[in-house]
Amino acid sequence: MKRRTVLRLGIVGSVFVALGGGLALWRPAFHDGRLTPEARDIFRAAARAVLEGAFAASPIAGDAELDAQVERVEAMLAGFPSHARKELSLLLGLIGTAPGRRVIAGLDVGWAEASTDQLQHALQRMRTSSFTMRQQAYHALRDLTNGAFYVDPSHWAQLGYPGPPEL
Amino acid sequence: MSEFPDPIAEGLSRGWRVFGGETPLPREIRCDVAIVGSGAGGGISAELFVKAGLDVVIVEEGPLRSSRDFNQLEAEAYPTLYQESAARKTADKSINILQGRCVGGSTTVNWTSSFRTPPATLEYWREHFGLTDLSLDALQPWFERAERRVSIQPWTTPPNENNDLLRRGAAKLGVATSGIPRNVIGCADLGSCGLGCPINAKQSMLVTTIPSALDGGARLLVQSRAHKFELTRGRVSALLCVPVALNGDAVSTSSTRIIARHYVLAGGAINSPGLLLRSGAPDPHQRLGRRTFLHPVVLSTAVFDHAVKAWSGAPQSICSDHFLKQYPIDGPIGYKLETPPMHPVIASTTLAGFGRAQTEALARLPVTHGLLALLRDGFHPESPGGSVSLRSDGSPLLEYSLTDFVMEGARRAYLSMAEIQFAAGALTVTPVHEMASPYTNWVQARKAIAALPMKPLLTRVVSAHVMGGCPMAGDERRGVVQPDGVHWQLDNLSVHDGSLFPTSIGANPQLSIYGLVTKLATQLARRITGRDVTVV
Repeated sequence: MKRRTVLRLGIVGSVFVALGGGLALWRPAFHDGRLTPEARDIFRAAARAVLEGAFAASPIAGDAELDAQVERVEAMLAGFPSHARKELSLLLGLIGTAPGRRVIAGLDVGWAEASTDQLQHALQRMRTSSFTMRQQAYHALRDLTNGAFYVDPSHWAQLGYPGPPEL
Repeated sequence: MSEFPDPIAEGLSRGWRVFGGETPLPREIRCDVAIVGSGAGGGISAELFVKAGLDVVIVEEGPLRSSRDFNQLEAEAYPTLYQESAARKTADKSINILQGRCVGGSTTVNWTSSFRTPPATLEYWREHFGLTDLSLDALQPWFERAERRVSIQPWTTPPNENNDLLRRGAAKLGVATSGIPRNVIGCADLGSCGLGCPINAKQSMLVTTIPSALDGGARLLVQSRAHKFELTRGRVSALLCVPVALNGDAVSTSSTRIIARHYVLAGGAINSPGLLLRSGAPDPHQRLGRRTFLHPVVLSTAVFDHAVKAWSGAPQSICSDHFLKQYPIDGPIGYKLETPPMHPVIASTTLAGFGRAQTEALARLPVTHGLLALLRDGFHPESPGGSVSLRSDGSPLLEYSLTDFVMEGARRAYLSMAEIQFAAGALTVTPVHEMASPYTNWVQARKAIAALPMKPLLTRVVSAHVMGGCPMAGDERRGVVQPDGVHWQLDNLSVHDGSLFPTSIGANPQLSIYGLVTKLATQLARRITGRDVTVV
């Protein structure tokens, strides 16, 4: 990435500069329009934390649900304009690196390895942080996770929403 | 798929001239008037110009969708009918903006609330922006015309429970409420207005002025972004348009060149100033894109002991202007109280929280009441609104600062909403704020709300009304366009949309746009043709 591009990206860019070494590890979150394995891990982790109690209890069923959830996130992101995808790619790429994850999310273990409890602590710290970028990261992960989950008619029963009225 | 008659499908089969999407765009088009945008301002303008005998071309960034496509599903509506998949955000991501992007613009997806511009707003414009001819009396015939055209009438069906709780709670406190006029014919009270009306009850531009203009020979370019005006010696000499995909990305650099006698910009606030910025339009007094207003909205939810089903029924039928009238318009910021519909995606993404607490709260959605307060921004030096600039890819970006002045009003709004919800019998009230929790009585809520840090990103703020950025004013130092809508520096360019407003409106803006643009477009048609024209 060119230095000019980093600077243009404002807050995200300034974090890159602050992280120094993190910059070298950064990779985009999309490859050929699909989320990278690292980005998929982040959304799986976000789903475990944000949607606790909304997933099937069995670990195996839970895993299939998580795969489906990431597919829905991907489908949702496909509808976003490229500037929004680029910005999200920067963020996910950053928190997908170990230094970025530690600094932004305050998470010492990898996204895939973290327990639900650890992830929720991390989300809560980001949510109430005085550092704008952490708050933005919280909102992005949380809103995309909720939107992708509750857009699916098979989850409406959990909301007591009967679906659109018949015409 | 809706089985109801579809005026768009019928029009297309009659041979409407629609290009873009599946049909390639022409390389060059010549016409009398080119209109950017097919929403409230573009729709009203297009019909009037066609009636005046002018050859009209309408350029719309979004797709042409109609009742046969409107399945009342958020999964389909947001990516196809809204700007940026209904996830457009201010630069710091603290405000999510709902703005239409389809044929009919926001009128295709709005919640039908129809208010004339409040007298206090017009008075402020006369006093501070030199708009001396915008008196209540002078505007009345234009509002009446617009109301007839889109069938705005009092709504006599009983409100849904979400709205009725606002009425009942406010009444207990002596807070006045009133019914909301709506632009509907034969409304079935489905509650799906925001997802596109599947039965064509909503009299949006999509089913009124746009079909009328197309029947009269207008051409419509869809999925086509007005990219740039070419400027020559103080005039627009051409408009360049590029084809765009559903996600808003340009799909080709080959452009269509539209050469018109006059150009009307009605792409909506944010996009209209964005196009002028991309075009390098003259802006000698640095007004372009500045003073963009949002009616920042804060929300409060409450749990009741009975069904509310806030997704069902007309989304907005009751409102309160009590807190707009509490202080002078240029005093502490006022707010209008209304209710939001709560479908699964809009509710789960707009409300705050995560984890098991969220899962349990969302399980109570059927008994959850929602209130919203829209803050009347732009009437005080500490509410200067936002500023539109361009990203490196040329797309417009709004920076909007939620000042302490605005957030002080947001705190008062949380208090007003909680008090009304408890008065209506709420078991718990939760302000939609990252540090709030469910409160079980008014005393507890009042104390907790007083202590909430009213900061951006902690306070959940949304907007569905974008206004300003190309303000009209009586002199060129204060505005981008003249009181007749014509650009101060570009003689054959007019602005006919919500970006005209020099402040926010203080009410849902669709009728303010319809009424004002009916006036401006009628005058412009007379200027171009030398003849009078009326529609209704």
